[in-house]
Amino acid sequence: MQRQWVYTVLAVAVLALAVGPIGTAVFVLGFWYGDSPCVMCWEQRIAMALIALLGLFVLRYGPRPRYIGLSILVAGYGVFMALRHTALHASRDIGQGFSIEILGAHTYTWALFIFWAAILLMGALLMAVRERDAGGVIRTLRPLEKLAGAVFLVVMAGNLVQAFASTGPPPFMGQGDPVRFSFNPAHWVWSLEEYRAAPVGLRGRWAASKPDASKLDPDPSRGPFEWAPPLTLRGERTLALGLKGTPTGLDYDPDSDRFLLTTGDGVYLADGGLTRAERHAIVDVGYSVDLARFAGAAFLDAATVMAVSNNKSFVILRESDKADASKNFRHFRESFDRFDEVRRGRFSTVRARMMYVMSAAYDPTRQSIFTITVPNERSRGMVVSRFDRRDLTLSEEFVARLSPEAGVRLRGERSLDELYVTGAAVHDGRLFALSAAYSILLEIDLDVRVVVGARSVPGLSRPAGIAFKDGELWVVTEEGKVLTFDLTPAPRPASS
Amino acid sequence: MEFLNLSLIFAAGWLVYRRPQRERLAFGLLVASAVLTVLLFSFATRTSLLPGMNY
Repeated sequence: MQRQWVYTVLAVAVLALAVGPIGTAVFVLGFWYGDSPCVMCWEQRIAMALIALLGLFVLRYGPRPRYIGLSILVAGYGVFMALRHTALHASRDIGQGFSIEILGAHTYTWALFIFWAAILLMGALLMAVRERDAGGVIRTLRPLEKLAGAVFLVVMAGNLVQAFASTGPPPFMGQGDPVRFSFNPAHWVWSLEEYRAAPVGLRGRWAASKPDASKLDPDPSRGPFEWAPPLTLRGERTLALGLKGTPTGLDYDPDSDRFLLTTGDGVYLADGGLTRAERHAIVDVGYSVDLARFAGAAFLDAATVMAVSNNKSFVILRESDKADASKNFRHFRESFDRFDEVRRGRFSTVRARMMYVMSAAYDPTRQSIFTITVPNERSRGMVVSRFDRRDLTLSEEFVARLSPEAGVRLRGERSLDELYVTGAAVHDGRLFALSAAYSILLEIDLDVRVVVGARSVPGLSRPAGIAFKDGELWVVTEEGKVLTFDLTPAPRPASS
Repeated sequence: MEFLNLSLIFAAGWLVYRRPQRERLAFGLLVASAVLTVLLFSFATRTSLLPGMNY
């Protein structure tokens, strides 16, 4: 290659890589501040060294295709490594992270930028390469290029010292949480912890199954409670509203004497007898915010309704006889002129973050929306989350515990975590939660955040939502049935 | 293992710098180091091979 400027740029790039991230990491952060790389940091640093070394190869032998190809492979894998590492800490609160930060960013996030910049630079240099440049001659290094090579070797020597002290000779390996670097051998920790048996997975703890209540055991006698007073069934009939899909949520508004139902993507307003649908809309759940599948329904006022999805995203609709069908095309798939979309967003949680929900309830007194988690194979715990209606932001979270005064007892080692709440509603200031598993209705005192009562609900199969009307509990099921119960439990039999 | 890996890189860099006629050996060491890097990172992150994010 005749154009020496390309080699000059490359030599500067090698120098910058060796002195900047790799040299600073070992001599400043490591030897001066005592920072030790974790096992992932080590591999990212080594990948940077490989890119610098490939630059030296090009300086010495010219831009052979295998150097360019391997550079792209290493830098591409470097981007992946940096993403994998950064993802561990990306969602923490501001300023939090792992180990030392530089210019406000932790080292592993800088790696993402460096690998990305390396790919860009290689692409730019490739554009300057001609076919005749890829010859097999050994170049004589110019002074700047010699300097790049010498600095690279010095930096590598420093890394060898740090690697020997921090990770040890083979088979010892870098650690997930390394101790501070020291030149004193008494403080060196050579570990084999990474060799411990561990499950192999693609997404780790994020690989949680979507909620599914279809295979739950509805029998209260096999549930976690020794006994729970049963509710008395008042009536049962088949829902005949012409829903498109199975019910997923229910609520009742006493002011307008109407019910609200949701299906997977539908919102329906029905009369107070739940016999006739007055208006509905099929929401485009895949447009903008991913609404997944609606799991709960709530009246926010007589004309404003909310549908909460199992991923805690939500949509707020307001009924309107003057809705602009053309404007609403983007929001709905059917019935464009029956509602206006007020807002579409996502609830963010802390304790409930790794769990889905299958219910939602609104408490007008507290002006709050409640969701209750369902367990999955990786996360258990019945987490109640409260969101303030005014800013739709998490305002309270608690794991519901059973009060000693609840009048019911858990069997042995059984717990409330086994319950699978698919319907929730606020009644008389208390949150009621119906579990499809074992057909148990919990009564939660929102002031003291404990379960103060539990009742069994006989004859249930796959309940999807609950509501209270005139002191009665209304339940809709996924099978399209409506059941009503007297909320006063039957007395405990003498033999129980 | 990181010490071994960095030793491979140092040796390859030394060959390029001081013994440029040994290109094949130097490049072989480089490839071995790259493969080792991928293996070590994959091994260390085997419980969640993909970035742990909300997909």
